[in-house]
Amino acid sequence: MTSGSSTKKVLVVDDEAGLRMTIGANLELEGFEIVEAESGEQALELITAQPFDLVLSDIRMPGMNGVELFRKIRALRPDMPVVLMTAFALEGLVQDALREGAFAVLPKPFEIDHLVRALSSAARSPIVLVVDDLEQVAEATAAALTAMGVRAKAVFDGENAIAAARTGEVDVCVVDMIMPGLTGPEVIERIRALDPHIVFIAVSGHDVREMFRRASLSVESFLRKPVDPADLIHAIAKGRGRVAK
Amino acid sequence: MASARTVDERAHELLIEHQQTLYRQTDRLFAGLMLAQFAFGIGIALLFSPAAWEGKVSTINMHVYVALFLGGLISGLPILLAWKRPGAPITRYVIAIAQMSWSALLIHLSGGRIETHFHVFGSLAFLAFYRDWKVLVPATIVVAADHFIRQQFWPESVFGILNPEWWRFLEHAFWVVFEDIVLVMACLVGVREMENVSRSRAEVEALSDSEKEKSKALNAALVELKATQEAQVRTEKLAAVGQLAASVSHELRNPLAAVRNANTYITRRFKDGKEISGDAKIGQFLGLIDREVNVCTKIISDLLDFARERPLMLTPCPLHALTEEAIELLPAHQVLIRNQIPVDLPVPSLDKDQIRQILVNLVQNAVEAMPKQVIVDAEGGGDRSWQLIVADDGPGIPTDATAKIFEPLFTTKTKGTGLGLAIVSAVVKRHGGAIRVETAVGKGTKFIVELPPGGKQLTATEAL
Repeated sequence: MTSGSSTKKVLVVDDEAGLRMTIGANLELEGFEIVEAESGEQALELITAQPFDLVLSDIRMPGMNGVELFRKIRALRPDMPVVLMTAFALEGLVQDALREGAFAVLPKPFEIDHLVRALSSAARSPIVLVVDDLEQVAEATAAALTAMGVRAKAVFDGENAIAAARTGEVDVCVVDMIMPGLTGPEVIERIRALDPHIVFIAVSGHDVREMFRRASLSVESFLRKPVDPADLIHAIAKGRGRVAK
Repeated sequence: MASARTVDERAHELLIEHQQTLYRQTDRLFAGLMLAQFAFGIGIALLFSPAAWEGKVSTINMHVYVALFLGGLISGLPILLAWKRPGAPITRYVIAIAQMSWSALLIHLSGGRIETHFHVFGSLAFLAFYRDWKVLVPATIVVAADHFIRQQFWPESVFGILNPEWWRFLEHAFWVVFEDIVLVMACLVGVREMENVSRSRAEVEALSDSEKEKSKALNAALVELKATQEAQVRTEKLAAVGQLAASVSHELRNPLAAVRNANTYITRRFKDGKEISGDAKIGQFLGLIDREVNVCTKIISDLLDFARERPLMLTPCPLHALTEEAIELLPAHQVLIRNQIPVDLPVPSLDKDQIRQILVNLVQNAVEAMPKQVIVDAEGGGDRSWQLIVADDGPGIPTDATAKIFEPLFTTKTKGTGLGLAIVSAVVKRHGGAIRVETAVGKGTKFIVELPPGGKQLTATEAL
């Protein structure tokens, strides 16, 4: 791992030479170190031979597709963030990859700036903050995310959530809406004031959608308790792919 | 279907109509008869009755006056009724009474001649023309009353003799009743026949009505069916257009993304103020933009080729040379392509551009299957049809796919619009030919295009 150094080393995997080269060149301009692979097989060889900070892969490729590559990487290097790209946003493959903990899926076509932000974020190995006044729920959710390769931290009230967000390590907040002290919408408002790029996922046993409509707050996803960790991880990856605006 | 009740009603209506016609006709018949009898009665009175009875002395005047006035009275009313109220029940009852009165008068005037009594039987039979047995009732009463009264007062005017036996009127009555029975039966049978005819007519009418209803319903159903089918075809077309749009836009997405990325890179390099002359990527990316734009153009023109139906332009088409052109048009590849078409093969008359296009598509497909080699061959000429063969020794096509390969949007490639073979198939059909594929997994694939001798041209609609 080279996460300590300032230059991040990225493996770009795409069978389309034109896309691969132009993405690579632009990322080099942005200060990344780029290695290109034209297939999943070639990418795996490179990963076993040398360290990378993260992998950017197309999904649809002849031979090993991007999701299969992601699973192999997960087995080899469980901590390596993998960002996928696809033109088929609704493909079953994409859903699977998201549920299994791919860092983000970028829908094609995307701006280079968008990609740079997503990769920068992925390279930092950011933390998913789980905010819930029920300590057991918060801990269990964070543990489930960690087990699926997503860095996560549990906090039990709004004040602690705001303090965690201040560290700059958090890019996604999973917030319970109904808490004593600061309520979910209040927490979201305060954290958004600190960092407008943070993605919020609202969780509640109630109809949170209606609550948000009334509070005129926007969040990435709404999930109803009890939350399925696979759905949560899907929502996180979707949010990470979209937020880098 | 018309209900049974309406058939009954209609049958009844028809029966009444028929009876009315019959009543009017018979009324007119009797009106004529009344006039004739009037004249006849006067004649008889003049000729016979004075000598017939009441002695041999001529007392002519009395009987002539009876014939004239009584006869006029008897005939006048029925003629008036037949004229003013033809078909009405009163008319025929009056006629019945008048007719039988005529019998009585004639018997009277002829001096009770037994032969004149036949007029009674004849008149009853005439009345039966009405096919209404009820008219026989007043008629019979008149006959009976007349006989009875005259037997009492002027027996010789009925029986021709002064003192007939007391039962003589019974004997006459018996024969009248006998005829009545026969005539009543005849009337009843006649009415039943009319009823049957009316019923048959009503049924035929009802049937033809119901046939009309049925054919109307059938028509409506057909119109609806047609509308449904058209709607379905429209829906399918829209679905196909949607699929096509999705497929094409996806195919365009990658080259366009590459162009955009290249452009972003070049733009940034120009803006960051650093030396760019040493950056080989700029030149490389400009070339890439050009290539990717060409890829987009190719996708769009494939789509146009598929969508457009240009009429065939038949020109002599040397197949060997055309195949060489097609091979040169292919993107770079590592496959050996052998053009085995004899250079001296007769020259068919085909649409050069379209045939070149199908050669490019077929050969490119073969090349993409990554075989060791691709063989293009052709035969035909004279009266024989043309065969154009593109064969490869690649992996073959799985059997479940062969049925669909000529359908638009079907593709087995990761990158492909699924239009190539659909275009080939459309062009071949437009030429009046056929295409088939022979494939074996692991051994290779052979596309055989068969074109009619000379290259028959079809209309655009026949080709699709």
